[in-house]
Amino acid sequence: MSISLLSNTYNRQNWEDAEFPILCQTCLGDNPYIRMMKERYGQECKICNRPFTIFRWCPGARMRFKKTEICQTCSKLKNVCQTCLLDLEFGLPVQVRDEALEITDTIPKGQVNKEYFTQNAEVQMSLEQTPQPYGQLAKAQPPSDVLMKLARSAPYYKRNQPHICSFYVKGECKRGEECPYRHEKPTDPDDPLSNQNIRDRFYGVNDPVAEKLLSRYKELPQLETPEDKTVTTLYIGNVVDMDEQQLRDHFYQYGEIRSVTVVPKQSCAFVQFTQRDAAERAAKECFNKLVIDGKRLTVKWGKPASAQGTGGRSGDGGIFETNYEPVPGLPTVVPMPTNELKTDFFGLSSSSNAAVSATTTSFLPPPPMPPPDLGDYTSSLSYGHMSMPNASGMPPPLSSLRASVHYPSQDPSRVGSTAAHGKPNE
Amino acid sequence: MVKVRKGTKPPPDGWDLIEPTLDEIEAKMREAELAPHEGKRKVETLWPIFKIHHQKSRYIYDLYYKRKTISKELYDYCVKQSVADKNLIAQWKKQGYENLCCLRCIQPRDTNFNKKCICRVPKEKLEEGKVVECVHCGCRGCSG
Repeated sequence: MSISLLSNTYNRQNWEDAEFPILCQTCLGDNPYIRMMKERYGQECKICNRPFTIFRWCPGARMRFKKTEICQTCSKLKNVCQTCLLDLEFGLPVQVRDEALEITDTIPKGQVNKEYFTQNAEVQMSLEQTPQPYGQLAKAQPPSDVLMKLARSAPYYKRNQPHICSFYVKGECKRGEECPYRHEKPTDPDDPLSNQNIRDRFYGVNDPVAEKLLSRYKELPQLETPEDKTVTTLYIGNVVDMDEQQLRDHFYQYGEIRSVTVVPKQSCAFVQFTQRDAAERAAKECFNKLVIDGKRLTVKWGKPASAQGTGGRSGDGGIFETNYEPVPGLPTVVPMPTNELKTDFFGLSSSSNAAVSATTTSFLPPPPMPPPDLGDYTSSLSYGHMSMPNASGMPPPLSSLRASVHYPSQDPSRVGSTAAHGKPNE
Repeated sequence: MVKVRKGTKPPPDGWDLIEPTLDEIEAKMREAELAPHEGKRKVETLWPIFKIHHQKSRYIYDLYYKRKTISKELYDYCVKQSVADKNLIAQWKKQGYENLCCLRCIQPRDTNFNKKCICRVPKEKLEEGKVVECVHCGCRGCSG
């Protein structure tokens, strides 16, 4: 393909001329004012072997000169920087990005197929009005968890440092202070990272950097869900200067909260959900990434009541019990529920098995029906008592409310119930 | 032995006084020309030549313009015999170029951005602790 500039004009239109390089922030360096050198058809692209316009610049003081290595078509095919071949959006190797977003774009590697493919891709990209990533990447899902965890938040300028002085390594560099190369010990040659090549990086195969990143992601701590299905409590650590309401505001989205207890002395809090799957969802979504009010909070599972020991119900369990008085009219000794019913707090076990399993899997349970033997509770008398303070423009006193509130959905001060304020039972 | 073109007038008075020094510099130049290039970088090989050339011109320039010990005739004779580089001396008379190392370093066409050499940048304008050694003549800074 690489015909000399003078000899033949055949396929000359395939030679790429560009006005500006496609680069990542790291490669451009920290100085916003840079001078670049441009050479048209300066070199062949290291992927597609077509001549392209190379740019060369110095990314800041004490950095080495960098230049573009692959052509803009190749760069657009993978949405990577022309110089470092890392993804433009996340700064991650192609292999990591493709694995995280489940992209399986295949680019032919044979000479003729490759030429045909780039030609078609170029035509396709020139037809698009607004530039967008090529192929499956354009349709890929929004950033996955893997990418969020692995991506750098700030540019990594250390990558632009000069290379290690090979004379220094041999112990015979005579330039001393003036030497523009780095006088450092080289990395271990057995290290897989010291054996990288540009094609593997581009195609996203056998990339040692990607493998290192992915293995690092796998080693990240995972939150283990406790075996005991009765545990619906999450421990929230590092709770400093935060009130119950803020926690409630955040955790309400995952399901109905039974109670929130803040223990300022130990700067932690316990959030108990009414349902197990809500707690599981909250744990999964929040683990290692819960930030409220600019503070990073740790999320763990609470200890099951059985593990708390028999020496008095101290800690979270005890506090939860005091929050709401038990629902009147329930039998005092409830027979041990079956495994799938352990998350049921409403005494719904009297209804049919199928109905209960439906409620446990749904996001928010339907408002529970009061027990049939509680006629006076739903009568107009108690209803009038609730609406009376609202009519006089005064907020209902909490103590009087608490007296008649038996579970969270009845609590009018609960998040999400502001519209139905004062009419908790409707 | 300083090369003197044949068929010219005999040297003016005072030539015998400066001749030994010029001979010495000439010998040094010869030595530099014959020095092996092994172990040197490509750009490094010409540095001693530039340095000695600068030294020779500087000697004549100092004698005539600074110390004023040689006559106008002798100075003209030296320039004519190419002992002193008149273009380089012409630069030294300009403000800011009093210590210019070589003519290549002020040639804008030789650089990427049509600027002069790094050795022309005043020390205080360079970044802190930067050691320069220009590729043209190995100059470590000839400004200010």
